[in-house]
Amino acid sequence: MKNNLLNALSVALFATAGLYSAHLLAAGNPAAAGNGDTNITEEQFLKVAKESFPWATPEEFDERVKNDVTLAICNKTNGQPNAAETDVILKFEKSRMEYPKDGKLYGDWKKGQEWAEGAHGGRIGFADADDPAHPNGANCYACHAIDPNFPGAGNMGPSLTNYGKLRGQSEPMIKYTYEKIYDSKALVPCSLMPRYGGKGHLLTAEQVADITAFLLDPASPVNLPAKEAAK
Amino acid sequence: MKKKIAWLCFAAPILFGSQITTTYAATPSDEDKKFEAYREAMADFNPGDFWIEDGEKLFHEKRGPKNVSLDGCDLGLGPGVVKGAYAQLPRYFKDTNRVETLEGRLLGCMVHQQGFNEEEITKPYYASLAEENGTKSDLVELVAYVAAQSNGQPYRVKLENAAEKNAYEMGKYAFYHRMGSMDLACASCHATPGLVLRGVHLPVMTDPATAGKVMTAFPAYVIKDANVRTWFWRNERCLLAMRMPFLKVNSDLDVALHLFQVMEASKTDTPIAVPGIKPRA
Repeated sequence: MKNNLLNALSVALFATAGLYSAHLLAAGNPAAAGNGDTNITEEQFLKVAKESFPWATPEEFDERVKNDVTLAICNKTNGQPNAAETDVILKFEKSRMEYPKDGKLYGDWKKGQEWAEGAHGGRIGFADADDPAHPNGANCYACHAIDPNFPGAGNMGPSLTNYGKLRGQSEPMIKYTYEKIYDSKALVPCSLMPRYGGKGHLLTAEQVADITAFLLDPASPVNLPAKEAAK
Repeated sequence: MKKKIAWLCFAAPILFGSQITTTYAATPSDEDKKFEAYREAMADFNPGDFWIEDGEKLFHEKRGPKNVSLDGCDLGLGPGVVKGAYAQLPRYFKDTNRVETLEGRLLGCMVHQQGFNEEEITKPYYASLAEENGTKSDLVELVAYVAAQSNGQPYRVKLENAAEKNAYEMGKYAFYHRMGSMDLACASCHATPGLVLRGVHLPVMTDPATAGKVMTAFPAYVIKDANVRTWFWRNERCLLAMRMPFLKVNSDLDVALHLFQVMEASKTDTPIAVPGIKPRA
């Protein structure tokens, strides 16, 4: 009971801290990359982009080159939306949020480990394109340290080592973690973190649930001491 | 137009390349140090030198349906002048009414003066990664040859007219523009010091010293590919990671991104030294 209360409290603190940090830290945050103060308009950019990406299908162009409402605001405001713009983004992103059909936000951590490590998926073009027949990975290690035994992590996002050990596995924490991976911008308007769920992004709802379990499960290597050999 | 380079499977890339690209070092700086030692060892034997030698022959040879050499190709300093040409590109050219990179300008000369088919040269339709890596393109050989004729000189690219200024602004806009499936801009990774991506230190391309160091090494021999890669290709690889569509060489966006970055490199006195050697890129 006491644990549950603590967990709920920590979720609330996390979520609040996330929202505040979006405003307070934007100036020193790479997520704050705006349009670099130029006189170029989005219309001019898209005209150039259209000719510069001649092999993109109309669908690929709309999905990948054109900004949706969220990125348009983030680009325009240098990652620092005002209160009204923040509302527009949060409303739009919450409408994008989807959950696994079976309602389980906590999947199979072993599968989650695979999706977290995998860097395959979403690349289009020619010889370097990813085979869409293979499931996508999220390449989490590009930005985060997670399993302490995994070498070569990135530092663009915070370390997630001991994620579940520190936070516990309460329902609110599971939901927060799932939603953060599925759609980071539903929680922090111009988060640097990619949105992984939904059309045009890399993961299925079930894969997001698997990664949620990988981060939270007490048996996952994320929450166990590093093995000797890896030290 | 394109030659297979199976013969280029040197022992070096096999012995060192696989090690460097497939194992993770304990820390990124360890890997960088290891590679620094390798680069020194390779200083007298850079496989990229073959691209320069072959590019020189290609440049002066009468080729294409019109059977002419590229000695009439104006790279900004007059027809056929290659010394120092790379150090002042991209720039605006009256005849095409465009800002062009060295790669784009050479492509234009191959098409307009020699009569080659542009799509034949630039089409990226490879069947496999092995085919792409194993293809030694005439255009890249030419770029490597001409670029090497600026060795020892720093970049001195200038924004002297409206077209150049506009291309620069477009490059800046694109560099800071979040897009693609990953919601990333070039600037998300390459405008903040100290960022590491899956164990790899990311160069800050808005920092003149770093831009100078990185861009003076391109075109570079990339060990992972056993091939020489130009700055166009370097930007295309980043766009690929952003899950953007394939960028066309010599497109306005190719030129704009190149110009925006090389203006930072032009603030330094770092001399051009191509071909550089890169583990990956």
